[in-house]
Amino acid sequence: MEILEIENLSFTYPESKCETLSGISFSVNYGEFVTLCGGTGSGKTTLLKMLKPELSPLGKKEGTVKYSGKELNIVSAKQSAGEIGYVMQNPEQQIVTDTVLHELSFGLENLGTKQNVMRRKIAETASYFGISQWIDKKTDELSGGQKQLLNLASVMIMSPKLLILDEPTAQLDPVSAEEFIGILKKINSELGVTIIISEHRLEGILPISDKLLILENGKVIHFGRPGEVAGNIGNNRKILEAMPASVRLYHMTGGETECPIDIKAGKRYIEKRYGSNVRAYPVAERALKNPVLTVKKVSFRYSRNDKDILSEVNLEVYEREIFCILGANGSGKTTLLSVMAGLLAPYTGKIEINGKNIKKYRSGELYNHCLSYLPQDVQTLFMKNTVAEELEGADTRISELFSDMERIIEMHPYDLSGGEQQILALAKVISTNPSILLLDEPTKGIDAQSKKRLTAILKKLREEGMTIIAVTHDTEFSAECADRCALSFAGELISAEETHRFFAENSFYTTPTSRIVRDIAENVITPEEFSELYSDSDKEREL
Amino acid sequence: MKGMKEYNPISLTVYFLSVMFIVMFSMNTFIFLLSFLGALTSYIILKGAKEKGFMVLILLSFLTSSLINPIVSHNGVTVLFVVNDNPITLEAFLYGISAGVMITAVMIMFRIYTELMTSEKLLYLFGGLSPKLALILSMSLRYIPLFGRQIKKVIMAQKASGQYNTESFGDRIKSGVRVFSVMVTWALENGIITADSMTARGYGAMKRSRYKSFRFDTADIVLIILSIALACVTVYCLEATQTLYYPKVEIEINGLKAYTGLFSFGALAFLPVIAEVKEMIKWKYLKLKI
Amino acid sequence: MKAIKNEKLRKLLSVIIPFVMIPLLVTLGALIFEGSRYIIISSGIAVLTLVYFITGFERRQTGSRRMVITSVMTALCVAGRFIPFIKPVTAVTIISGMYLGKESGFFVGAISVLLSNFYFGQGPWTPFQMLGMGIIGLLSGVIDKPLKENGYILAVYGALTGLLYSLIMDIWTVLWYRGAFDLYLYGGAVLTALPHTISYAVGNVVFLWILGRPFGTKLERIKRKYGI
Repeated sequence: MEILEIENLSFTYPESKCETLSGISFSVNYGEFVTLCGGTGSGKTTLLKMLKPELSPLGKKEGTVKYSGKELNIVSAKQSAGEIGYVMQNPEQQIVTDTVLHELSFGLENLGTKQNVMRRKIAETASYFGISQWIDKKTDELSGGQKQLLNLASVMIMSPKLLILDEPTAQLDPVSAEEFIGILKKINSELGVTIIISEHRLEGILPISDKLLILENGKVIHFGRPGEVAGNIGNNRKILEAMPASVRLYHMTGGETECPIDIKAGKRYIEKRYGSNVRAYPVAERALKNPVLTVKKVSFRYSRNDKDILSEVNLEVYEREIFCILGANGSGKTTLLSVMAGLLAPYTGKIEINGKNIKKYRSGELYNHCLSYLPQDVQTLFMKNTVAEELEGADTRISELFSDMERIIEMHPYDLSGGEQQILALAKVISTNPSILLLDEPTKGIDAQSKKRLTAILKKLREEGMTIIAVTHDTEFSAECADRCALSFAGELISAEETHRFFAENSFYTTPTSRIVRDIAENVITPEEFSELYSDSDKEREL
Repeated sequence: MKGMKEYNPISLTVYFLSVMFIVMFSMNTFIFLLSFLGALTSYIILKGAKEKGFMVLILLSFLTSSLINPIVSHNGVTVLFVVNDNPITLEAFLYGISAGVMITAVMIMFRIYTELMTSEKLLYLFGGLSPKLALILSMSLRYIPLFGRQIKKVIMAQKASGQYNTESFGDRIKSGVRVFSVMVTWALENGIITADSMTARGYGAMKRSRYKSFRFDTADIVLIILSIALACVTVYCLEATQTLYYPKVEIEINGLKAYTGLFSFGALAFLPVIAEVKEMIKWKYLKLKI
Repeated sequence: MKAIKNEKLRKLLSVIIPFVMIPLLVTLGALIFEGSRYIIISSGIAVLTLVYFITGFERRQTGSRRMVITSVMTALCVAGRFIPFIKPVTAVTIISGMYLGKESGFFVGAISVLLSNFYFGQGPWTPFQMLGMGIIGLLSGVIDKPLKENGYILAVYGALTGLLYSLIMDIWTVLWYRGAFDLYLYGGAVLTALPHTISYAVGNVVFLWILGRPFGTKLERIKRKYGI
């Protein structure tokens, strides 16, 4: 039976000329797990909000949305609040109240639930989601992953039948994201809750989805079993870029048979297709010369009685190099970046920028033309009302960064998509023409398309002579653009090495592509490299 | 009886109101002394004498009050010395000390009260009066630490883009205003997500109920009854005792009634001490058993 | 209040009650009762006035967006102090009153004082400070037009409210230590607090002068975009 039936749904925002959603039809059965995918501007968020009456935007709407056989606009406020749960991207801002307990009770209070019922529901929910340990905590003391789990629990406490999630893991680190997806799977299979989720990171979620829906320019272009859909999108490059590595490998090698959607299936596919055709990707040796940033035996802690966050870190970064520092949360990588940016002072050791001790720079001198820093939260840089005002005084060259400058120039920075905000912030920080650029998690929360654009921009900046150091969780981004990578662990930097060798030698901290192909293809870390390496074999097959 | 921290916010408030009401309404030095001793002992038991800043504040308040009175008030018959034709009298001096004791006692009681009334309890109390106000308080309390952290991030980001300078006074003001301006946009724009999250969970859909996070049990009823009863006895008996300073010091304690009044107030002032000591003994005893 | 049909009269009353009745009650209380009882009378009045506003607020429907904006402004008042050299409570209260209306102004002022005192110390002075700051916010909502139109008026207003707030709090200090009002002592208190009062007023002026308009633009955008 269907919990949702959407028929010919179209939607246009008041000031807009074109439809954001046009002619959308699909239906979802009770207990299904549906993943929604599409680039920025495809209308994902609008579609999800149309399924939740309280959040439906104002505008011109055509067609029908039926929930449980009833038109959505006649579903009562109480039913819709309780039965349709909605979780958004930002873990911080969704939290309404000061303590975990208040947050859990908030939804129940809104529905006028009685005290004894509330007590029981809180106890039950807290136990199920494993939050009884921190139920008395202030919401601000929780980690990002815990915050998002609390947001999920405070929605689940109202026992919804339909759970809608709009990119819930975009702001989480990979470990928390995996845990979160695991809990969604549990909710879906143990409680039978219907789930509709939109995601950028499809790696972990496709294997547990019943259906995959692909949205482009406000239209449904594919809807069906994930394996089938993934097998049919080969000619759509934009969509393909967002797919898991196994799907990209499949299409790039001109795949046949069923499309693999996880690492295991991917490995089987490669084995079947290439057998023991072992090859090695030629790694170009770059000469490392002219160090521009040197870190010598640097140790840092916040106060005398704390533990070391950095202990005796050594690092040399050379001219025209993109250097990525990877590592788990709390390994000290962001602290290292702040120390290199001169924002935190180490208690021993020294940092040299262009051969001169960082302490010898006066602050104006360091940050003008020498070093720039792109913070993780780029909104900390915006204070004006339009993009044009934000970019005032910047080089005209900057506008080349944007693909459609005219469209966004008069917009408010906060009305831009996450990817566009990232590029605007980048434009702001490089407007001083720095020789060194430091980036903190530059790909957090942005879609595949924007990531591709960012990678291209960074490579171009490198060619122009800039040295770039990025701290990131994103292995695929590092594989795409870094010259060298290092792993940060327990306050130390381990194994700074050429990117291909770095990922090829790691067995856990590596790219999905490397995991899939490592048995036959040495030093291959991206699907592109694999298809390049085996292109002759694939061509032979086609003939 | 239970430990003071475990009482329901309502009974705690009733208790503190009854004590403070009597202290501030009466003009009796014995009452001031009793409340001061009770408050100080409770404070030391509950908090320890660790807060040096508060201790200094208390001492300063006491000194201000007891020294100001003889300077501005020239009543009283026993002239100690004369400054600029103004007589400084012993009575005014003693009166000042008495008032100082009262002010100090009230301040310590306030300190204990705010120590016991955590933000959680305050929300419970406001929730009874206005659930909506309690929600705004709770939301603001959620935002304050969030904004605090964001401010640190903004300062870092602005520093690294060369926009945050602290060299001259003008620079500092300009940088501060800049950080605040970034914060305003950030807070307002992202606040809409919070509003959506509220609406999505049914805020405004119907009349809200209230989750009461504190129990109200027999011990609470006992505390309320005790507080009010002791306060009533005190008020009734208090006319039998008087401490007058002007024109000269006179102390009156008329018989049993006066002693009853003072005793019942003493019991009221020392209630927290009694409750805490009882708890301590109970736990010691329990420990021995284990 | 709803029973009164004439809107002008209703508006007048909503001003008269807080601005005339309360000070009048306070003065009467001072004349009728002597000695230390006076402080308790005025505390009672302060608390009752706060309750009067709160119950009025409770009765009205307030959408989630307005709730959020009020909380955001309040938290900005309190957390703003974490920025070196910024003490935004009065200025943000004034801006809230101007752009969000007198009720929001009142609550932003009153609640931010209550919450600030969690960091700076609660005391018997809390209800007075809450009421004082609340009234500044309320007043800013009443005379919002000239304040929005003219930057100079806003700056002067910022200075005056800063001064007035300090002067009223000095009255309270005198009452607290002395029991009754004493002009001689009041003069002393005002003089002692003078450097603080002046820097406070100047801070308000600078803040409103630089941030008044941009802050307003930001609030107007939010109001327009989200239909508040």
